[in-house]
Amino acid sequence: MNVINLTYLREREKKEYGKRTITVIQEFGAENIAQCMQCGACSSICPLSISGFEWYNKKLIKGIELGLRDEFFDDPTPWACVACNRCSEVCPRDVNPFEVMFAMRRLMIEEFVIPPTALEALRSLYEHGHAIYVENRKARKAVGLDEKPPTTDSNEKALEELRIILKNTRLIELGLFPLK
Amino acid sequence: MPNTTFLFFLTCLDNFGDKLSKEEPRIGVYVCHCGENIAGAVDVEEVRRFAEKLPNVVIARDYLFMCSDPGQEIIKKDIRDGLINRVVVASCTPKTHEPIFRRACEAAGLNKYYLEMANIRDQCAWAHWHEKKKATEKAKYLVASAVAKARLLEPLEDRYVEMNQNVLVIGGGISGIFASLDLANAGYKVYLVEKEPSIGGNMAKLDKTFPTNDCASCILTPLMVEVANNENIELLTYSEVESVEGSVGNFKVKIRRKQTWVDWDKCTGCGACINVCPPAARVPNEFNEGLDERGAIYIQFPQAVPRKAVIDIDACVKCAGREFGKPPKVSKDGRKILAPCEKACPTGACLRDEPRDPEGSILEIEVGAIIVATGYRVMDKKYFKEFSPSSPNVITALQMERLISATGPSDGKLIVPSDIKKYKEGKNAREPKVIVYISCVGSRSKRYHSYCSKICCMYMLKQAMQLKESYPDLDIYIFFIDVRTTGKDFDEYYMRCKELGIHIIRGKVGGINQLPNERLLVRGYDSDIGKPVELESDIVVLASAVEPSQGMEELSRKLGISIGIEGFLKEKHPKLYPVDTLSEGIFICGCAQGPKDIPDSVAQAKAAASSVMSLLSKGKMKVEPLIAEIDRDRCSGCGICEPLCPYKAITITEKRKKEKKAELNPALCKGCGVCVVACPSKAIKLHGYTFEQLLSQVEALSIELER
Repeated sequence: MNVINLTYLREREKKEYGKRTITVIQEFGAENIAQCMQCGACSSICPLSISGFEWYNKKLIKGIELGLRDEFFDDPTPWACVACNRCSEVCPRDVNPFEVMFAMRRLMIEEFVIPPTALEALRSLYEHGHAIYVENRKARKAVGLDEKPPTTDSNEKALEELRIILKNTRLIELGLFPLK
Repeated sequence: MPNTTFLFFLTCLDNFGDKLSKEEPRIGVYVCHCGENIAGAVDVEEVRRFAEKLPNVVIARDYLFMCSDPGQEIIKKDIRDGLINRVVVASCTPKTHEPIFRRACEAAGLNKYYLEMANIRDQCAWAHWHEKKKATEKAKYLVASAVAKARLLEPLEDRYVEMNQNVLVIGGGISGIFASLDLANAGYKVYLVEKEPSIGGNMAKLDKTFPTNDCASCILTPLMVEVANNENIELLTYSEVESVEGSVGNFKVKIRRKQTWVDWDKCTGCGACINVCPPAARVPNEFNEGLDERGAIYIQFPQAVPRKAVIDIDACVKCAGREFGKPPKVSKDGRKILAPCEKACPTGACLRDEPRDPEGSILEIEVGAIIVATGYRVMDKKYFKEFSPSSPNVITALQMERLISATGPSDGKLIVPSDIKKYKEGKNAREPKVIVYISCVGSRSKRYHSYCSKICCMYMLKQAMQLKESYPDLDIYIFFIDVRTTGKDFDEYYMRCKELGIHIIRGKVGGINQLPNERLLVRGYDSDIGKPVELESDIVVLASAVEPSQGMEELSRKLGISIGIEGFLKEKHPKLYPVDTLSEGIFICGCAQGPKDIPDSVAQAKAAASSVMSLLSKGKMKVEPLIAEIDRDRCSGCGICEPLCPYKAITITEKRKKEKKAELNPALCKGCGVCVVACPSKAIKLHGYTFEQLLSQVEALSIELER
């Protein structure tokens, strides 16, 4: 159905979730979401809206206000945010749309709705200190470089510190992958 | 007597005029650039050179802004130096600038009616901006015409008429109340006319008011009482304006007082009669916007001022066969058979014997100025078929005000309107869980009203906020086209609503379906998400358009003031004279002039009151001598002019030799000229626009210009 049934959404919030979606998103860090007046400044410069993603910042905020939630779970938009932060720079109401996008990611992780790429990025961050890690030791060796890049990846101390940080996040409770 | 004074003036003038007019006219022509306004289209220098050659013109000059101090000084100097004795200014409209140049002439010692203006800006430069050659040509013609008239100008003197110091205020809403109080406190006698039994208007129906959410009754009732207690205010409620004659300073007004069938001197407002009026006589209660019913005998609302009962004779069922206008029947045992209301009245105020007078009694008053504050009404829901108007749970926002008001049909308890009857019967009434608001219902619409009703956004947010604060579990959805919260402190309402979790959805509702149990299915569109939305609601509130109150058109005709295409009263100038009308001495304020909120209405009311004060406080009024004069020797007494005069300034009188002649009251004449053109004997002359002057102007327009 292409029609959004507001009565259903409200009932679902009350009975199934026990909380308004907007409240959950506020608790996940987007405290100012209710200040949004749908002016659209954030969407005029958002790489997601420009490149044609469905639930870019302004629409996501409105959807959350109406009580949409599970409807976002199949959508790649929140994970596509490149965190450029331009939306927060231009917002006249200090809504911080970027924070809304990330609050939605947090909600999705909480609900174990994690796209494989996101999970892979997390695992890679934990293992190598890089969200995106290119496995190219042979090639590096062949041109006379060290097997590992001169980053956290090759710095045992730094990597250990990073893992301590990650072990102190919700990752430890969620158990998405073993934190060795 | 202004009449004799004026005649004396004229006699003096005739002699004086003769002396001056024997002097050959020496005309000075002053062409204004008006910055680029004229010079941008008209070749000013060419016009000046042309003017120089016209007969009797001794000087022609041009200047960037003739109306500026240095511009006026040029004219004054030429007069003082004895160079000129007539002035022609070719500039803008005399409507705004003639007084300025007249004052300049007067200051330099020249009779100010020796001035003539040629409007080469509004009707020439502006109108022919892209045809510069033709514009210049037209400017020449206009100047030639003005010069031709200037040669024949006669000196005139201003006259003065006494002004009546009483004021009529029409409409007893918040605007009328404030205008009356300000005037009364300044010492003017005020007649406040209100068509309903009580003053208070629409504001009395409101629960809380934006901004700052004051309770409407708390701030309005003391003012109403103040009106009633003010010795300078004569309160005429349940009355309407019947006719208006005369003009500024001297209006004669007839007020029709509707028959109440209750002696208001005796009525104490106890309400005993109301409780005994039978169910059969119940009709929709106007004060509660039809949400419940009232009896045939009723007091408009609990805080009514005056708190007096009236009988709605159309609703009365004539209990016990008790007819109006007749003495009561007598029973076999000799007792009078009275209606319950009569029996219940402890003071004998119920006057059913009184002869029926459907026209009501007429009260004649004289006033110097009039303020029209007739307010507004909201559009009925019946026009909007797409919103299921037949459902009792689709209501207007004003009905919602009544529903949440402590004096409303449910004593302020929020219930669905379809259960009001149940509530009154003491049964369990359903409380709404969802309320939907729809904005711009009939406003910003080509089908109904093209204007924005201005107050709806604010009262919707106000009501929503009020409801959500009192009933936190209530779900409220407001469908907007645009949220317009303009002005100081107003956007706080929008923010507060959002913080309270009230849904504000951009997009209008296109349809409402009725569901079982008087619930409603609302079909809207969220233009931010770009999808249709639907929801079930218990109440739908329509923010229906603000309209001029009933009878506005008729009243405007009686007063001789104009209404705009939208039906509201038209102000003299939308920016500079917002409370004045084109009829001098008649002022407007509040929603009669256009939709506005309480702060703006009060501001306008006070502006109108102060305009009246500055008009009347002088006591006498200067009147231009540009009026008609009747030559009794030429008058044949045919009487054609008498009924034509819109100001009733002409009467046909028999004086000497029992000869019938037309006589003109200069205090009433406005110089419109209707009588002048109608007179078959050419016996009437209009000063400032004589036949000779006008014909000379026409002649000047027919000259061949050198090309």
